Amino acid sequence: MAKCTINGKEVEVKDGTTIIQAMSGEKQDWQHGKVAHYCWHPGLSVAGVCRLCMVEIEGNPRVQIACNTVVTEGMKINNTSEKVKDAAKWGLDFHLINHPLDCPICDQAGECGLQDQYMEFGKYTPEMSEKKVKKHKVVDLGPTVVLDSERCILCSRCVRFTEEVSKTNELGIFNRGDHSEIGTHAGMELNNKYSLNTVDICPVGALTSKDFRFKQRVWYLKDAETVCNGCSTGCNVKVYFNKEGMFRVKPVFNKDVNSYWMCDDGRDIYKFVNKESRLLKAKKKTTGGNWEEMFPGAAAKELSSTVKAAGDGLALVVTGQYTNEEYEALFTNLKTKKVFHWVNSPEKHNDFDGLLIRGDKNPNTKGLQAVMQKHGITPGNWADLVAGLQSGNIKTLIVAAPEIAAVYPDIKHRVSEFEKAHNLVWLSSTKSVEVDLLTGNIWQIPMKSFVEKDGTFVNHGGLAQKFKKATTVVSEALNLGEAALLMSGAQIMVKPETSPFVETARPADRVTLENRKKNEFVFKRGTL
Amino acid sequence: MSIVQNKKELSNWYLPGILGGLFITGKHLITNLLNPKKMPTLNYPEEKFEYSPRFKGNHVLTVKKDGSLRCTACMLCATNCPAECITIKASEHDDPTVEKFPISYEIDILRCVFCGFCEEACPVDAIRMGPEWQTPGVNGSEFHYGIDRLAYRPALKGGIQSVLDDEERHKAGI
Repeated sequence: MAKCTINGKEVEVKDGTTIIQAMSGEKQDWQHGKVAHYCWHPGLSVAGVCRLCMVEIEGNPRVQIACNTVVTEGMKINNTSEKVKDAAKWGLDFHLINHPLDCPICDQAGECGLQDQYMEFGKYTPEMSEKKVKKHKVVDLGPTVVLDSERCILCSRCVRFTEEVSKTNELGIFNRGDHSEIGTHAGMELNNKYSLNTVDICPVGALTSKDFRFKQRVWYLKDAETVCNGCSTGCNVKVYFNKEGMFRVKPVFNKDVNSYWMCDDGRDIYKFVNKESRLLKAKKKTTGGNWEEMFPGAAAKELSSTVKAAGDGLALVVTGQYTNEEYEALFTNLKTKKVFHWVNSPEKHNDFDGLLIRGDKNPNTKGLQAVMQKHGITPGNWADLVAGLQSGNIKTLIVAAPEIAAVYPDIKHRVSEFEKAHNLVWLSSTKSVEVDLLTGNIWQIPMKSFVEKDGTFVNHGGLAQKFKKATTVVSEALNLGEAALLMSGAQIMVKPETSPFVETARPADRVTLENRKKNEFVFKRGTL
Repeated sequence: MSIVQNKKELSNWYLPGILGGLFITGKHLITNLLNPKKMPTLNYPEEKFEYSPRFKGNHVLTVKKDGSLRCTACMLCATNCPAECITIKASEHDDPTVEKFPISYEIDILRCVFCGFCEEACPVDAIRMGPEWQTPGVNGSEFHYGIDRLAYRPALKGGIQSVLDDEERHKAGI
């Protein structure tokens, strides 16, 4: 341990800690004073290229960079002096010499390091009279990322990311001096499973995500923290949404789970939450009939008699995509011995790519197993389910279907097996073409997606992670617990939550002049 | 509210008041007949009052030299709009020098308060407040002005050119 003084405060840090680490603290809350920086990232190695994190150390005649200076015993560090501010200001001036200042069309505007630090440390009028160096704009780096070299400040975070974290080495810095540019090595493209992290760590708008590009300005977005339901790693993420829908997902630091990163597949989970892919109303179909829409609560209530009539012939199929609390409610309310665990591609379950992505694409397999054990349920053999459905032993089948059906490649096959049930109840948050095509007595009840409910996911390592509701998308959707309670015959009131999401495309006014003339509220002179 | 009552003796006589009124009307009639140029009123549909050039009327989206929209869909007008009447949908342009452009730009003119903040916020002189103000419509959809109406309505004769030119800017090294 080494003792040092930062801005007049005594701080004790571990040996080998750099000044910037000591100042930012483990939680990145900059308790001991904020340091301007671009190239330093806590999850990457030290490069020391941006020359912005200058601090004054007593006994040193000149300011030094905080990211590459190790704290020594009795060091006196100060970053509030005029000298340090001047250094940051001039550092920023040099960064902005060739910067195009196209903030209006830059996606990063609003969360840009250059904007933030200009407002905090800069605030000067530029003194360059030379012409700006022109570089490549809108460079297609790969399937996910677009590069704008003019905006780049060459902090090399993205290059270090591909070298150290994803270990794919696609990116590099080419040419010299003010002609230096980020680019991919010859014959390569930035195409790895973690490529979008480079967009997150880019402090300026040089790297932008193709998926999010120009969709929204960031200041229109609200964010909420939750847990990714893309696989059993359970990365901590932030979802960004506004009243027009969800737009992107970004990782949140958690040193036990995902560090600072997340995978590209996980960034697509918002697509299964938006209204376009959701089941909005409950649907009911009787043999030979057509789909009939109804309220989810009413549908579940109506099912209670069917469930009661089924008695022993009731079976549950569960998937690992719901929360622990929901499983608890499901197993306590619908008591049956016939519980089947629908596992997608079990042969891949122990796959792990060494960083984050796991083969088990369910966020809560461990949690489901634990809850089943607690209730003394041993999941039945799948062959028994098929046989039971064939022979008619299983009359009513309730399927807690996956939220992200895309990771269930066997869905078509399984659904055709379920079709043989006398009554099939399909609980799912997303629309399903396969179920829509089935014949027989079928109910589809919309469920809440993971951003619309509080709950707990247990990840592959047994770590239980609680998360809170972020927003409401489908206001009438039920969660698994509510649905189970209603189906068991309980008289409860489920209030539809108000959804802040509005239709994005405004329909044209359908009231034509003809109709307006017919309107009974035509103003008649002399009357009211 | 205070009520003023005229309790003078004279107010009981209505004829002086009427005659006084008639005298004023007659005076104006005769002066207007003798000197129609000084008449304070206008024959409205035929004659129209010309407002000052700073008048804030219906919006105009300016165009570039080639006639395409100047707007870069930066959404600063929509952000600045106190009535929240501007809806923009941005998209990627084929031309990399343009990059971002609006595929739809809609102003809900019935919500607009004509404050001119959009004009002030615009970094590229893409939106201006024009001189028009007589813009009736027969139903609600006619008050959602789209790009066709804002930039290319017949009155603008092919669009008003923006003062800001990207090519000139690049040549100047900005």
